[in-house]
Amino acid sequence: MEVVSLMLTDKNTAYIRHKISLRITPEEKPVQSFNSDPLLNPCRQVSSALYRFPARKTAGELTDKLRESISDMLSYFPMVTGRLLRTSDGDWTVKCNDAGLRMVEAKVMKGSVEKWLRNVDRKKELKLVHWEEMFYKPYFWSTFYVQITEFEGGGLAIGLSCTRLLSDPICATMMIKAWADTTLIGEITSPPLFRLLPVPNRNTNHHSSSLIDRHKSYLTSSPVPKSDSNTKQITTITLQFNQETVKKLCIAMVNDVNGRGPGPTPFQALAGLFWTCISRAKGMKRGLVDMSVCLDMRKALGLDKGFFGNSKRWDWTRAFSETPWCTISGCDDDHLICVDLENVDCYSAVFEENVVPIRVSYYMDGPGVGAGQILVMPAPGGGDGPESRVVAVTLPEDEAEKVLEDSLIRQLGPITLMGLNKNPN
Amino acid sequence: MPETTAAPPNSPTTVKLKYVKLVYQYLVNHILTLALIPLLLSLLRVGPTEILSLYNSLHLNPVQILCSAFLAVLISTVYFMSKPRSIYLVDYSCYKPPVTCRVPFSTFMEHSRLILNQNPKSVDFQMRILERSGLGEETCLPPAIHYIPPTPTMEAARGEAELVIFSSIDSLMHKTGIKPKDIDILIVNCSLFSPTPSLSAMVVNKYKLRSNIKSYNLSGMGCSAGLISIDLARDLLQVHPNSNALVVSTEIITPNYYQGSERAMLLPNCLFRMGGAAVLLSNKRRDAARAKYRLVHVVRTHKGADDKAYTCVYEQEDPQGKVGINLSKDLMVIAGEALKSNITTIGPLVLPASEQLLFLLTLIGRKIFNPKWKAYIPDFKLAFEHFCIHAGGRAVIDELQRNLQLSAEHVEASRMTLHRFGNTSSSSLWYELGYIEAKGRMKKGDRVWQIAFGSGFKCNSAVWKCNRTIKTPADGPWTDCIHRYPVHIPEIVKL
Repeated sequence: MEVVSLMLTDKNTAYIRHKISLRITPEEKPVQSFNSDPLLNPCRQVSSALYRFPARKTAGELTDKLRESISDMLSYFPMVTGRLLRTSDGDWTVKCNDAGLRMVEAKVMKGSVEKWLRNVDRKKELKLVHWEEMFYKPYFWSTFYVQITEFEGGGLAIGLSCTRLLSDPICATMMIKAWADTTLIGEITSPPLFRLLPVPNRNTNHHSSSLIDRHKSYLTSSPVPKSDSNTKQITTITLQFNQETVKKLCIAMVNDVNGRGPGPTPFQALAGLFWTCISRAKGMKRGLVDMSVCLDMRKALGLDKGFFGNSKRWDWTRAFSETPWCTISGCDDDHLICVDLENVDCYSAVFEENVVPIRVSYYMDGPGVGAGQILVMPAPGGGDGPESRVVAVTLPEDEAEKVLEDSLIRQLGPITLMGLNKNPN
Repeated sequence: MPETTAAPPNSPTTVKLKYVKLVYQYLVNHILTLALIPLLLSLLRVGPTEILSLYNSLHLNPVQILCSAFLAVLISTVYFMSKPRSIYLVDYSCYKPPVTCRVPFSTFMEHSRLILNQNPKSVDFQMRILERSGLGEETCLPPAIHYIPPTPTMEAARGEAELVIFSSIDSLMHKTGIKPKDIDILIVNCSLFSPTPSLSAMVVNKYKLRSNIKSYNLSGMGCSAGLISIDLARDLLQVHPNSNALVVSTEIITPNYYQGSERAMLLPNCLFRMGGAAVLLSNKRRDAARAKYRLVHVVRTHKGADDKAYTCVYEQEDPQGKVGINLSKDLMVIAGEALKSNITTIGPLVLPASEQLLFLLTLIGRKIFNPKWKAYIPDFKLAFEHFCIHAGGRAVIDELQRNLQLSAEHVEASRMTLHRFGNTSSSSLWYELGYIEAKGRMKKGDRVWQIAFGSGFKCNSAVWKCNRTIKTPADGPWTDCIHRYPVHIPEIVKL
């Protein structure tokens, strides 16, 4: 089998450039202040979208087109091209000085997107995105990075990296959609909104999901055997569950809690499933590992869908279902993180007529993202129904293997979109 | 140049002096007319019959009359034959870079910091230059320079050349309606990028110009090369009757972005920006009606004989082997001297008699009576309505404004061009002319003085006379932003 190598020129020496917007907006916009210090916490998050395009006559033609349209798009996102500044209170603020975001242009020689997908793993997929750690002077550090990778055999990958200080996966998706709209039709269908988040309300009602009720019987949690995850290889596996499977799972859960309350959403059902499997993989004989759930609070906070900023809030969930507010820094390294992206419309970013993304992934990096991640997303191309889902699980390699072998998972018969780390190439 | 002593502006002495000067100027400039009036009056008093009897008393026979007539015809023929052809500027077109090439201050500084991260002192120096440069946030650099680090390949340089030159020429052809086969003379000037085949060959290839075209490519002649090309075109149009000349002036930034850290060589990076212009000149009589300007004078001054002047703008390698242009600290002084030389030559050609007389008298006085008398600086505002000073940098414009005693409005075109487009080298004069037209200030009969400085050290001037009142153009590089100008440019911009 042909192994397709991603031939990137040394990222430090070529093809990185600034993309600026078409307008001049020199002003300062305050950023939701977090106690976490980005200097210690690069906290990047990343999303990448992969497209299958017919092979082009001229190499780089697509990149040229996208280069022009991104500038257009950036006119609507002044915060993206700004730079971080410390205020006198020690908070962060964004100066919208139009310094630009950094863009990397890369090529994959010899190969099409399909071939690449057959061999993809976490390491390879992360090559499609670019990130730079914070420069010693934050004012000269770009908070957003875009990588355009053209496949010689036809295909395009777009990778977007950004700091969690300024955006969440939904914003990243919004940006890519806006870029696609600008390329395809020349204007943005839903411009973003920039404002501060309201102060968190301690009384916000959280549905204690049946997920937690189900596992209430495990009241005492035994300490998690400390695995030295620093030395282990982290890998990400992506599994697709079709409509029927997910429906069955939800019904099974309702039955389990004797029909009390509303049925779980596909996210809750899958999150619960993986929580159990991962806990087992981590060696918990009884009880579950601590897990934090990350939800989009736009609706709860009364924000517009177009809100641009990090409105994902972590819920620190323990088996005895106390759900206090918790900012990112409050999360321990030992927690499992579960992110709800099932309502994110990630496949609607269309850059060219009839060319939809064939694969979209999200990654979260940096300290504070826990001992593992579960991301629940919609399935590509709508899957075979509105309830089909893709779950991306990031764990140390051995635990991931155990999860894949877990009987609960195997019973459901998911399609493996991305398996364990392949040989390094 | 020393300044004349200035009394307080609104005192009675100054006002009286102004009136005296005005009367003096009117008298001297119209002396011929004034001398003719008594002659006319005496003729009228004499009466027609007396003139006729005077004529009869001369007893001229037919042969003598015929010979005189022949002589008159001969003299007038010789005069008309030897009179230089009028050179008309039919139209010109300036390149407007795409907004995606824009380099705001923040981007430029960040680039500098990332590329020169080993030399923070050099970065600070660049920042100080940029703060005081007089440039705005909309100046553009070519795509290759946006990369970190820049990727100045030959292909990228050719790409920039094609983009700038072809866009300008396309726009010019659209405006004037000229066909490629009608171009008889082609002159392209670009100082720092000189590939083989030349840029003029590139133009011939793209537009399929005639095989007997007279094409020239001037390189290495600095920012004053635009006027050198105009001078060359003028000389060629004297020799070739009924012809068109296409002059393209540009500077290709891509291969010349200095990547080292020597301070004296970092200055051009801060100031030079993308730009270009294409100009159509003609000596055809039928273009006289539609042409915008008529070329009156071109005066070229070369100070290269002086070693200091020769080395003040010098391309060399820095200690690390990186090539850049070294600007010496004496640049402004040398520029002032070159300007003085140029003015001494152009003054007699353009100044009204009153100013020339004053200058002559002061000169004689200084030589014979008292060398301590202040030299008289002629008032060029009497000779020209508009001034286009090469937007080499804020210091150049300030220096010339002071030397020539120009008002802020006179140098507005230069300052605003520097702000909007940066230093586009040889094409900046055309952007400035475009600004004046865009503001609707160009009327028929207005005289324009274009002054350019360049490496060598050269100071070149061109004088144009406006042929017809020019309506505000519907296209051009200024159309979308002229309403915002003039802007106030602070002494130091806070970065």
